[in-house]
Amino acid sequence: MSIDVKHLARLARLRIEDDKLAKFEKDMESIVAMVEQLPEVSGDASGLDPEHPMKLREDKEGTDKLTRNELLANAPKMQAGCVVVPKTVE
Amino acid sequence: MELYEYSAHKLSKMLSEKKCSSEEITKSVLDRAAATDEKVGAYLTVCEENALKKAREVDEKRGRETLHPLAGIPIGIKDNISTKGLLTTCASKMLYNYVPPFDAFVMKKVNAADMVVTGKLNMDEFAMGSSTENSYFKKTHNPHNLDCVPGGSSGGSAAAVAAGSAVISLGSDTGGSIRMPASYCGVVGLKPTYGSVSRYGLVAFASSLDQIGPFGRSVTDTAMLYSVICGHDNMDATSADREYPDFTALLNSDVKGLKIGIPEEYYGEGVDNSVKETVMNAVKELEKRGAEIVNILLPSTKYALNAYYIISSAEASSNLARFDGVKYGYRTENFTDLTDMYEKTRSEGFGDEVKRRIMLGTFVLSSGFFDAYYKKAKLVALDIVKEFNSAFGKCDVIATPATPATAFRLGENIGDPTKMYAADICTVTVNIAGLPAISVPCGKVNDMPVGLQFIGRKFSEQILLNSAFAVENIFGESKPINV
Amino acid sequence: MEYETIVGLEVHAELNTKTKIYCNCKNAFGLEVNTQICPICTGMPGTLPTLNEKVVEYAVKMGHATNCSINNVCKQDRKNYFYPDLPKAYQISQSDIPLCEHGYVDIMLNGEEKRIGITRIHIEEDAGKMLHNDAFQGSLVDFNRCGVPLIEIVSEPDMRSSAEAKAYLDTLKSILQYIDISDCKMEQGSIRCDVNVSVRPKGSTEFGKRVEMKNVNSFSGAMRAIDYEANRQIEALERGEEINQETRRWDDQKGVNVLLRTKEDAQDYRYFPEPDLTTIYVPLEKVEELKNDIPELPNAKIKRYVKVLGLSQIDAELIAENLPRCRLFDECVKICGYFGKDSVSPKNLSNWVLGDVSKYMNETGKDIADTPLDANLLCKIVELIETKVISNTSGKVIFEEIMNGNTDIDKIIEDKGLRQISDDSAIEKIVNDVLAANQKSVDDYRGGKTNALGFLVGQCMKASKGQANPAKCKELVLKYLNG
Repeated sequence: MSIDVKHLARLARLRIEDDKLAKFEKDMESIVAMVEQLPEVSGDASGLDPEHPMKLREDKEGTDKLTRNELLANAPKMQAGCVVVPKTVE
Repeated sequence: MELYEYSAHKLSKMLSEKKCSSEEITKSVLDRAAATDEKVGAYLTVCEENALKKAREVDEKRGRETLHPLAGIPIGIKDNISTKGLLTTCASKMLYNYVPPFDAFVMKKVNAADMVVTGKLNMDEFAMGSSTENSYFKKTHNPHNLDCVPGGSSGGSAAAVAAGSAVISLGSDTGGSIRMPASYCGVVGLKPTYGSVSRYGLVAFASSLDQIGPFGRSVTDTAMLYSVICGHDNMDATSADREYPDFTALLNSDVKGLKIGIPEEYYGEGVDNSVKETVMNAVKELEKRGAEIVNILLPSTKYALNAYYIISSAEASSNLARFDGVKYGYRTENFTDLTDMYEKTRSEGFGDEVKRRIMLGTFVLSSGFFDAYYKKAKLVALDIVKEFNSAFGKCDVIATPATPATAFRLGENIGDPTKMYAADICTVTVNIAGLPAISVPCGKVNDMPVGLQFIGRKFSEQILLNSAFAVENIFGESKPINV
Repeated sequence: MEYETIVGLEVHAELNTKTKIYCNCKNAFGLEVNTQICPICTGMPGTLPTLNEKVVEYAVKMGHATNCSINNVCKQDRKNYFYPDLPKAYQISQSDIPLCEHGYVDIMLNGEEKRIGITRIHIEEDAGKMLHNDAFQGSLVDFNRCGVPLIEIVSEPDMRSSAEAKAYLDTLKSILQYIDISDCKMEQGSIRCDVNVSVRPKGSTEFGKRVEMKNVNSFSGAMRAIDYEANRQIEALERGEEINQETRRWDDQKGVNVLLRTKEDAQDYRYFPEPDLTTIYVPLEKVEELKNDIPELPNAKIKRYVKVLGLSQIDAELIAENLPRCRLFDECVKICGYFGKDSVSPKNLSNWVLGDVSKYMNETGKDIADTPLDANLLCKIVELIETKVISNTSGKVIFEEIMNGNTDIDKIIEDKGLRQISDDSAIEKIVNDVLAANQKSVDDYRGGKTNALGFLVGQCMKASKGQANPAKCKELVLKYLNG
């Protein structure tokens, strides 16, 4: 099966440079050719398991909160207490 | 004998008997790391100062307070486990400068036990790989043969313990990432039952498969460390709410009456004959000691690798989407707009293997392909669970090779992703079914270690540890390798 | 050709839980940027969500209130897309199994009832907020709103005009307020909607291509957006053009919409089950318990007011549309009914609630709960008026006193001398005095100027300092004038 690597890359916000495209296409095709060998199976794949339900969290505020500076210390760019990204509207 | 050469349980005893101090042990381990790591390349970050400071603190506490048996024992941490205030890079350019503002659940446990963190260990980028060659920063070498890979993705964790630059370590296992490097490096590695160790703070690769686990040169060390990190965590919705025994206290090498299942699918094509023989010899030794061998069938195993790569890549494509240059880590220098920033950041920040998995995951989840890939893989996973359940009606543990061959040479598989993926065939079923499994050294082929994998029912870690303990009693505890 | 407009709505309502949906950060509006955040809602690597139990309960309540069936076993899914306000680059939502589905609400428009189908209600997390300003070096991201719990209520394409859409939105809003799960503050964006519009020739049963409109921020804006879009489509059809299935962005200030993306660029969200969360299970007893918590809803209330209490449709709707107002009214009706005070008619209570009480609330902007007024006090005022102990004017005086904090009605009556004089002989004396002093007016009346009557009665009231029963005065004045 031929895989549209450029389309997948766009969906995943990756950019495959032209010189690497052929290799990626070949790799992806062989990987997909491997993983698609699956038996014909049908049934419910939702994975619901009401006998082992998830324990829900009590609606109660936490106390050990980190400060804004601690939380955003890793941000590449900050201004006015916010992270900065390229303009999203004109 | 140098202090770094001792096992954790021996050091624990020596500490309590005041035969040595934690500072001395830590110093010895750090010196060992300094002496070997240029060749082995296990560490990404060594925190010498903090480790010695912590060791002195623990030494001071000793005698005044009741300490945890592992208090003062050095430990190395895989670099995908969040350590507050300490670089956590996942061996990726994407997180080359990322310092978490919080500790992973397991780090809280490790710190509460007063263990001494010597540093962060190398791995395949974002835990994707079977050789630790996918690290952005460096390659790790197998201490048994520096031309060989240590396995992956927790290659640094296994190699450090094997080389003596760590006494014990933590790794993570999504499809074999603890057991395979343990097998390649000749140490013990436990992949616990899904849900028994909190994943909070483990940088996610595949959420439904990831599990943190311990490495040690002995089964006892592995059991001791597992006792520290297991337990319920209400920050992880997939964490099991149950009590755990003291695994170390209950260690027992008596295998009389133990039913060992042998699935033929793990001894077939694709598995090296000498590895099969080595593993079967060890099993036969257990039979001589009273264990019973039962033949079992796990026919869906042949689809396991495919299902594994579909499910794990699907989850990874989503889990790794947050690395976008906005909140933390790498951001590209020059860009024209938001999309350009996203694409350049992610293309420059991720290595090729990570990109391949993200693309595979994006593909299997994309419109029109979901049912044929993701859904089918989930159904195959259900079949695998069913087959294990019925197998455990006939046996207590399943014994298989941990890897289809011994460690391969660096660069040998790097150009061919599918060949690299095949190295996981013995281990992925365990993650798909959420089961515990352990790899324990059971001999060598051409001077390279072979690991025997025991797979158990959910939460049967004690039986696995005991089975591995019996193997260890035959072959002996591992010693640091000269490099 | 005549056309019919088809409207379907997707309404997002923020829930007023104490904490966010997947972390224990405070759920609050308007606080300083990036102060209500934690590693989880900012998508730090390794963090995990835990689901707030109240979010599930609130959504189930909304399901009951809109006659939905409840999927008490369900799950959460990831919706993957990149945007800076979405830190994980996926929104945790629900795809194929929503918590509630197949319901309806009845709306009233021009006195006619119409049933609008509810396709589904599911739970999900809100995104952060982008801030734009020329002074910024780009766009800024405030994560405070990340993880605020939302329910998305999706309607069937059952509405046929913007007025019906408005009535539907008003009905949803009052239900949300009645069951107290959302603050419904439009200006804070706590209810938002996406609008789907298509048109078709009248009489046709096939749906036309539908256009989705984003960025509709108010109910009146929704009406404008629907009218604009329906016209745009009709004009296009009249010109012989085809309508494309696409997403457009509504600009309420300019009153136009612009193309956002075509069907071909439709986003591929790659939904898959959220592996960090497991099965949501609400025991059937709990589902029932939540059903019993649902108070009488607006439609039922209006019907009861009209049919049982004899209010006009318009008064009934006015009372029911405001929650504090109808709570006060219902309580008054209950008190009066309970004590068998037949003299207090619902009609008079409703006049007070819609009159003086509403006027006071509107003028001061206060909630009833913030004033000293309660149902007992209001009932007493109305009862005193109806039993002619005080005049209507005195009732207003007492009401004002109560609002000023003086709630002892008996004392107010004594202090201000508000008790009404109904004793015939006392009033007769006043009437005689007034008539004697106003001979000119008496002559005027007898000469045919009948409006002199009002003046004379007024003079009697004045002479009694307002305490005389006006009806009685009028009766006696007339008796004399005609006698």
